[in-house]
Amino acid sequence: MTERVQATINGGHFEGEVAPQELLLDFLRDRLGLTGTKQSCEVEVCGACTVLVDGNPVSSCCFLAADIDSREVETIEGLVGSDFHRRAVEAFMRHAAVQCGFCTPGMLLTAKALAGRGLDGGRGAIAVAMNGNLCRCTGYHSILDSLTELLGDPA
Amino acid sequence: MKLPPFRLYHPHSVEEASRLLTELGDDATAYCGGTELLLAMKLGLTTYEHLVDLKRVDGLRGVADGSGGLLRIGAATTHHEVETSAAVRARYPEMSMMISHVANVRVRSVGTLGGNLCFADPHSDPASFLMAVGATLECQRDGQVRRIPAAGFLTGLYETALAPGELLTAVELPARPDHTGLSHRRMKLTERPAVTVTAQITMRGNAVAEARLIVGSVGIMPLAADATALFGATAADFAPRSASCAGQAAADCAPLPDGEASPDYLRHLVTVYAREALEEAFAAAAA
Amino acid sequence: MNAVGQSVERADGRLKLAGQAEYTGDIRLPGMLYGAILHSQAGHARITSISTAAAEKAEGVVAILTAEDLSDLDPYYGHALRDRPIVALGKVRFAGEPVAVVAAESQAAADAAVAYIDVEYEELPVAASLDQALAEDAPLVHDQVARPGASHGLGDLPDAEGNICYSYSFRRGDVDGAFADASVVVEGEYTFPAVYQYSMETHTTIAHWRGGELTLWSSCQHPFLVRQEIAGLFGLPLDLVQVIVPFLGGGFGSKSYTKMEPLTAAIARKAGRPVRILNSVNESMITTRRHNMKCRMRTAAAADGTLLGRSAEAWMDTGAYADNGPRVTATAGDAAPGPYRWRAVESAAHCVYTNTSPSGSYRAFGATHLQWIGESQLDEVARRLSMDRLEIRRRNLLRPGEEVRPGGKPLDADLIGDVEKAAAEVGWSDSSADVYPRAPEAAPRGRHRRGRGVSVGLLAAGAQPVSMATVRMGPDGSVTVLVGTTELGQGARTVMAQIAAGVLNSPVSKVVMRGTDTRYTPYDRSTGASRSTTVAGLAVQRAAQSVLDALLETATVKLETPPGLLRTAEGRIEDQGGRSITHGELVRARFGFDGGELIGHGRVQPEGGSGSYAEGPVFWEVCVAAVEAEVDMETGVITVLRTSTVADVGKAINPQLVARQDEGALLQGLGNALFEEMHFAPDGMVLNDTLLDYRIPAFEDMPASMTCTIVENGDGPGPFGAKGCGEGALAAVPAAIVNALADAGVPMNALPLTPERVWRRIQELKIS
Repeated sequence: MTERVQATINGGHFEGEVAPQELLLDFLRDRLGLTGTKQSCEVEVCGACTVLVDGNPVSSCCFLAADIDSREVETIEGLVGSDFHRRAVEAFMRHAAVQCGFCTPGMLLTAKALAGRGLDGGRGAIAVAMNGNLCRCTGYHSILDSLTELLGDPA
Repeated sequence: MKLPPFRLYHPHSVEEASRLLTELGDDATAYCGGTELLLAMKLGLTTYEHLVDLKRVDGLRGVADGSGGLLRIGAATTHHEVETSAAVRARYPEMSMMISHVANVRVRSVGTLGGNLCFADPHSDPASFLMAVGATLECQRDGQVRRIPAAGFLTGLYETALAPGELLTAVELPARPDHTGLSHRRMKLTERPAVTVTAQITMRGNAVAEARLIVGSVGIMPLAADATALFGATAADFAPRSASCAGQAAADCAPLPDGEASPDYLRHLVTVYAREALEEAFAAAAA
Repeated sequence: MNAVGQSVERADGRLKLAGQAEYTGDIRLPGMLYGAILHSQAGHARITSISTAAAEKAEGVVAILTAEDLSDLDPYYGHALRDRPIVALGKVRFAGEPVAVVAAESQAAADAAVAYIDVEYEELPVAASLDQALAEDAPLVHDQVARPGASHGLGDLPDAEGNICYSYSFRRGDVDGAFADASVVVEGEYTFPAVYQYSMETHTTIAHWRGGELTLWSSCQHPFLVRQEIAGLFGLPLDLVQVIVPFLGGGFGSKSYTKMEPLTAAIARKAGRPVRILNSVNESMITTRRHNMKCRMRTAAAADGTLLGRSAEAWMDTGAYADNGPRVTATAGDAAPGPYRWRAVESAAHCVYTNTSPSGSYRAFGATHLQWIGESQLDEVARRLSMDRLEIRRRNLLRPGEEVRPGGKPLDADLIGDVEKAAAEVGWSDSSADVYPRAPEAAPRGRHRRGRGVSVGLLAAGAQPVSMATVRMGPDGSVTVLVGTTELGQGARTVMAQIAAGVLNSPVSKVVMRGTDTRYTPYDRSTGASRSTTVAGLAVQRAAQSVLDALLETATVKLETPPGLLRTAEGRIEDQGGRSITHGELVRARFGFDGGELIGHGRVQPEGGSGSYAEGPVFWEVCVAAVEAEVDMETGVITVLRTSTVADVGKAINPQLVARQDEGALLQGLGNALFEEMHFAPDGMVLNDTLLDYRIPAFEDMPASMTCTIVENGDGPGPFGAKGCGEGALAAVPAAIVNALADAGVPMNALPLTPERVWRRIQELKIS
């Protein structure tokens, strides 16, 4: 028994069959070859597998591919080329906030979701909101500097 | 870690969902966001052959102001929707605050309040909070509706009072009495909370008229601690009475074995956080 | 030298920000199969039977590997002790040890098939802790003495004793006399936890045999050592084993030496198709971890604060297989005295087998294990003598040029300057609370108590100083750097390009360093021990110089000017009159047409001697930090308020990347200090093997203030006077936190400083 899925993925239309137990992470990486989304902890804690579904950040490692039916999915590949991504790249490069890069796509997509929700409050609020995205390399300081520029209240 | 194979069903009504669950029996379960269920299945802690998806069922989602100051939250409302609801922020800002600390931004975006309550993980915040405010859980099966007080909903480790085929459809918070203060404290050592304490105090005049103290995440189920010592307390004697109440709550709770913390230490944390939660609730009620 | 010393942007940053950087798990080969491992459930047992018949019939299964498929090989590997079989051979020594591997058409099919493999165990007594393994009648984890491995650099290995597979010790001076003369003696017993490195990317390997040649793509830090190990195992000349390393999603030592490569190569050999093994976190956690340890230490001092004697003994739990245990043990033994002047020292460290998962390298090993202990004893000496804790360090710290250990490299850093800078950044001596003797009114009190701590240590860095590099310049002036340093996230590809660009005076944008492929990249011993900028970077500098020499040679002819009157300018060579020729023009001129290439070679090798551990290190990495922390006396919860670290790097090739390394190491140190700990069941099984139960630092754990001070005294042996960094903060931060907590009134002798441990200590001390 398969599930019929129709979804918008990175702005493009997808139509096809998925197994009910297929995880969105595996569907994206293995079926669609979108390997920018990463597998790390597999238990919804680290955020490396973050993608946006209808603008909301989800742990694709614990989300059914079947559940994207009639929804819009955005991965890092879809984010690239947007004005948000351009500004994010500028900020992250300026602060050298990328090291191994494995957490990076998840960080950017989460930041985009937060921007969409109108996060206010500056550096402290950003740290709290991003607390579910783990990084083992940077110590967070440079990422927080980058996100404060990207998301923070300029005033 | 991958999921075992299963079948998916997408009912469009509560009746249809209820019928499916009844027919499919023990090998079936309902899910909505799946943030707790799918994780448990990946970890091999549980397995089901049939998953009944509630996301397309009408009428399960949304927050509404009910009559007489009641607040009604559909069971399939996501944590994020509860947290950011204008009605929740107006009536129970402490609930919004409590929800904002649950898990992480992704789990809150996908996971639902109803799903959290039905999964009945001992290490959790919402159930305790709802017990403290005296919430009621609306459940439906075969067109029959019943209302279970939050205090009676959890019945054991990962167990609820739901009958086979019965669905949790809404959570109702009562109109908040005047001069009521609420405080929720939580402490975590790993990903899930190790201790939560929720206190609600209602004042009449300068004395405590009602008090509830719920200790969560420590035992199999939240503990409705004995708060009778607080009735009639005033600013003059609240501190010693709340300390005594907190101490009693700690003695009465039954800590689950926890890799990170001993029962003695967990009980000690209960005395500290219960005292803090009571004092904060009292100050808010008296203000 | 224009690029050197600049915080140029990361060469791989934009690629990673676009999600386009390729990691091993992103690679798909045609016909690739997916591996799943059957892990032992028993902690120590003989395997009496394995039946794969049912599993072989499972859907999608192509091949299953067990011990009997290795009968044509001598299937043991291990660079220090050759003690590890590719899969369990007749016996399992830790819960989780691979017993069999399934290769199937999909990951799900492979995972499902594992459940159908039947294994029967005859359980043996388990020694799952140091105490159990060291007991009189302890069961032996290995009943045969292991053969030495090929590349440990520790000289002749001493005989094993029971479960102790390696010991390291030294003694200098009259230790008993020093203690007899002391006015103050501090002594204690300490424990240090098993910690998991947690790279975001788990161990991932793909193996593909074609004819008699093997190609491995692997998330490994030391591809040349892996090549050596694999070639030895499968009886191949080095040349027929190719190791390709894409980007790593973090390493920190967890991917050093050989990990999943032998198993992947073996199953791929059987399957006749490429096979990928990608660990889940719980599998990576039993692939490697940090040694847990117990330690006894004593410190003797004179009444004026002069340190007299130190005696230390440490036992490192290396798990069931040695991996890098001997080296970790030697480094721990060397770290016990700290960077101080002693009249007498004795230190012994023992590497102990237990029936638990194997321990290996993790950033700043040895130093992280011991620094907090010695430093806490030094602070206690200061307290008892009513002496300022910075002052006692000024008095006793070694100065540049002084001997750290006999026959080894003398101290090459200004430690007193470093620790003063670190202390100043957390406001040391702003308040009377920091100065000992402390006035009674300055004593910490109340529910939340603050304290400050500093810590100084050294880490023997550089490992084996063997590295080659090639720099190639094409007829358009563009430059490729080939050097074996692997990009784990530390910024190797950026820094190596900067070094070459700096020597050549090429724009950095025209210089690229590519990933390592042992078939084409020249030999580099390893990426670790903070050695890459210093050793591999030096090889790059020499290689670039060799290209520059060729450019100058051609320019001399073309400009009819002696080389002494030529100088580099950006992308060209010019004379004093302002005439210049671009790099591209020079290359084309040299070969007479629009083609050809200049190739420069650089080599670093030990200068005299063998480059072994005893003769080194290449340089001493500085481990200095200061911390201000607050403890909640009611709950035991510690909040780290301010931290400062010092990166004493000789010359910062890329200052921003240096600071980033310290920041990352700082948070790892914070995790190690405050909450990271692996828990083992009585049979040695890991109990908290996912992030649900093993906590690593998050945004909320950042101290409110983190400063990194870069010190450049030009005193490194690397290019432009550089020496490495990236590990020191991890060793120093836990030590500074322990000292800050003691300063607040709560001395501790066990890590991590969990709230419960701290709370229990407070109760013990009956502090009100």
